[in-house]
Amino acid sequence: MKDVCVIGSGAGAGPIIYELSKAGFKVIVLEKGPWIKTEAFTKDEMTVTRRSAYKPNAIDEPQVTDKPSSSGFKATSSVDSKRDFQNGSCVGGSSNFMSAYFHRLKPKDFRLLSEYGPINGANVADWPISYDDMEPYYTKVEEVVGVSGKVVDHKHLEPRSTPDFPHPPLITNEIADWFIEAGKNIGYNVIPAARGIISEPRENRKACYHSNYCGSFGCSSDGKSSSRAALIPDAMDTGNLEIIPNSKAFKLETDGNGKIIKAHYYNESGVVKTIEAKTFVVACQAIESSRLLLMSKNEEFPNGLANNGGQVGKNMVFAGGGGGSGYFRYDELSPEKVEQAKNKNTFVNQCIKDFYEIEDESFDLCKESPNGKVKGGTIDFLIEHSAPMPKGIRNKFSDGSLIYGSELKETLKDYFTAQRRVRFEIFCDWHPNDDCFVTLDDEVVDKWGDPVARVRTGFHQRDIQIGNYLADRAIEVLQEMGAGSITKSINGNPPSNLIAGGCRFGNDPKTSVLDKNCKAHEVDNLYVTDGSFMPMGGSAPHTFTIYANSFRVAEHLKKAL
Amino acid sequence: MGKKNFPEVKIPDTFADIDKWSTNRRSFLRAAIVAGAASQLTWFTSCSAKLEEANEYLTAEQSTVLKSILMIIFPNDGNGPSADDLNTFGFVLWTLADGLKKQEEKDYIIEGLDWANEKAQEIYFEKYSSLEDEQKEALVKQFTELSWGKNWMSVMVTLTLESLLLDPIYGGNTDEKGWQWLEHVPGLPRPTEETRVEAFFENNKPFDL
Ligand SMILES: Cc1cc2nc3c(=O)[nH]c(=O)nc-3n(C[C@H](O)[C@H](O)[C@H](O)COP(=O)(O)OP(=O)(O)OC[C@H]3O[C@@H](n4cnc5c(N)ncnc54)[C@H](O)[C@@H]3O)c2cc1C
Repeated sequence: MKDVCVIGSGAGAGPIIYELSKAGFKVIVLEKGPWIKTEAFTKDEMTVTRRSAYKPNAIDEPQVTDKPSSSGFKATSSVDSKRDFQNGSCVGGSSNFMSAYFHRLKPKDFRLLSEYGPINGANVADWPISYDDMEPYYTKVEEVVGVSGKVVDHKHLEPRSTPDFPHPPLITNEIADWFIEAGKNIGYNVIPAARGIISEPRENRKACYHSNYCGSFGCSSDGKSSSRAALIPDAMDTGNLEIIPNSKAFKLETDGNGKIIKAHYYNESGVVKTIEAKTFVVACQAIESSRLLLMSKNEEFPNGLANNGGQVGKNMVFAGGGGGSGYFRYDELSPEKVEQAKNKNTFVNQCIKDFYEIEDESFDLCKESPNGKVKGGTIDFLIEHSAPMPKGIRNKFSDGSLIYGSELKETLKDYFTAQRRVRFEIFCDWHPNDDCFVTLDDEVVDKWGDPVARVRTGFHQRDIQIGNYLADRAIEVLQEMGAGSITKSINGNPPSNLIAGGCRFGNDPKTSVLDKNCKAHEVDNLYVTDGSFMPMGGSAPHTFTIYANSFRVAEHLKKAL
Repeated sequence: MGKKNFPEVKIPDTFADIDKWSTNRRSFLRAAIVAGAASQLTWFTSCSAKLEEANEYLTAEQSTVLKSILMIIFPNDGNGPSADDLNTFGFVLWTLADGLKKQEEKDYIIEGLDWANEKAQEIYFEKYSSLEDEQKEALVKQFTELSWGKNWMSVMVTLTLESLLLDPIYGGNTDEKGWQWLEHVPGLPRPTEETRVEAFFENNKPFDL
């Protein structure tokens, strides 16, 4: 019998796999997708985005989204809507395809309820651990998984046990300096943003080669710190790890005494198989992890595994916020700036943290707050992705009318050769609420005949207010830079790729699924280590924290096993 | 002094709003051959009343309509490559052969071609292939004003963009003419015969149940 069976192999699974294999435990991994080797990754949009080769397709693995609308919630299957929350389905999961903007959370993120008080209509909660408990593991991610960047002091800088990142910042486009300069002019600190991408070679990985095709695409140098490139190779070298790709877990069977004895899965031919292990770690990406627990019903757990308290699938969170953009037309720039703007490098890696906490008496939410402060978020600055198809598609319509013929050609020529588009992304808390949760759908099934996840995506108006406040600060920077045609889009549509919650950790079994070590309160040998544990997602993309937490749980497991 | 608030303008998200294609699992190496073969053939100009040749996927009439509409979408107007220069027609044939594309999406493309012909008969009492250039253009313009026609044209524009912007390995973007015109530098590594989409699915094939 194996010591540990891990389900999934992405960011939440990687540190468990790495640490436990290295500590001498026998680890087996069930991964739903194939094992794509580095050599098979290309920057081919046909493969990656047009035929979405790395994601499960909607016919095989649909999900149902239950979205708020003016006439109440409206449920649609992704078979019809083509919208879902499926990301990378392969060894390493979505961590292969992330852009890897890596921000640590800050001490206050762990104590939102205590710091800012309750919020009507939102299930705000403190974490059962503090930033100090997590800090050593953020450091571990920086060193083991590989993070590049530069620490600069600012008023919201979180405490660090090391002075700086182990890898220097990646080379950026000189447009980065335009952002810094503009920020300075209007009194905002535009500071370096870290990336989970290595800027120099190490072990068996080559440095980032600046393909300019990062997000959504697999990395051909292994410079991107995916679980597949950064953690799994060393774990394989121990001889203690076995990975079974193309195997989809669909049920965890218990012994009647609160202990899992077997994981049931379909192998690559669709045949049902089982794996026995002493401990089970689930990390299927938040929605699918809740789904697996809900599917694992039996007499002992009639509402799904670890769900006698009725909390599994509740309090899903996404990354709140949105984004916006502006354009620099070459005919309005100096020759020197045109040259900089034309440089193909898309990395800016600059952000603003000044508004991580907002203290502004003109902002309505601050007026309502007892101490005049509200939790804000992060502004990241970017240059438009190099992939040409999204640029083409953006230009298909003008004022809502489809364009074609010479007009289409002129528009495309202009878009591709006479301007550069810069972007910003806003990250703020997605306030957990009673209308944001995962259940099993009653009708829609996947290709194996199992009920699919039904995701209700209600959001709190506060997210929109804070998102807009932050977007407006980003717009001030863009205006100061001289960008034209500036737009923003802040709404309650959840991003499909930044998902957490559903199996909250906490001290009270009535309001949480997992304890502070991410072990299920109700099951002796079940851990969940993807983003599911997060009671609040913080005001940054989640993956740095998912990796860090998984290292933290691994440390606990090494002692507990 | 309070900070300024900016009004919201909806913009599409880079990747979220790209029309997505579902996939299925039929192998289709044949597709590549079809697209390649199309680029070898000589085609009549769009104003010719003569019919294009039939092929495995389209009748002569359908081919003629397709070829003509693609040239209306991406004409030879002295500004960069035309649909003919890009082999958009060949690329569409590759798409019709693509085992990863749903049959209903392929049928939809072909239905639109038949529909164009029916409309031509209804309005001008002639087959599409017999119309004058201006009449063809007027007809296509009419499509974009009808909801069905607009959807269909939108699909055709997307296919044209794919033939302009995707790797030449799929039969469009002949000699990288699209990329050169738009000063686009492709990302590396580019797809090879071993890593192109059909091969990728062959090598990393999830099973059919
Ligand atoms: C385009 C894109 C850009 C992104 N950019 C950023 C960014 O800049 N910064 C950031 O922090 N994050 C980013 N992310 C998000 C990041 O990838 C995820 O937060 C992270 O990978 C989540 O880790 P996970 O372990 O929860 O899920 P994953 O890494 O997706 O791993 C889950 C794995 O579980 C497998 N699985 C699911 N169900 C089963 C089952 N039943 N049986 C067996 N296996 C199963 C899946 O196939 C998958 O391999 C991005 C994601 C995408 C797609």
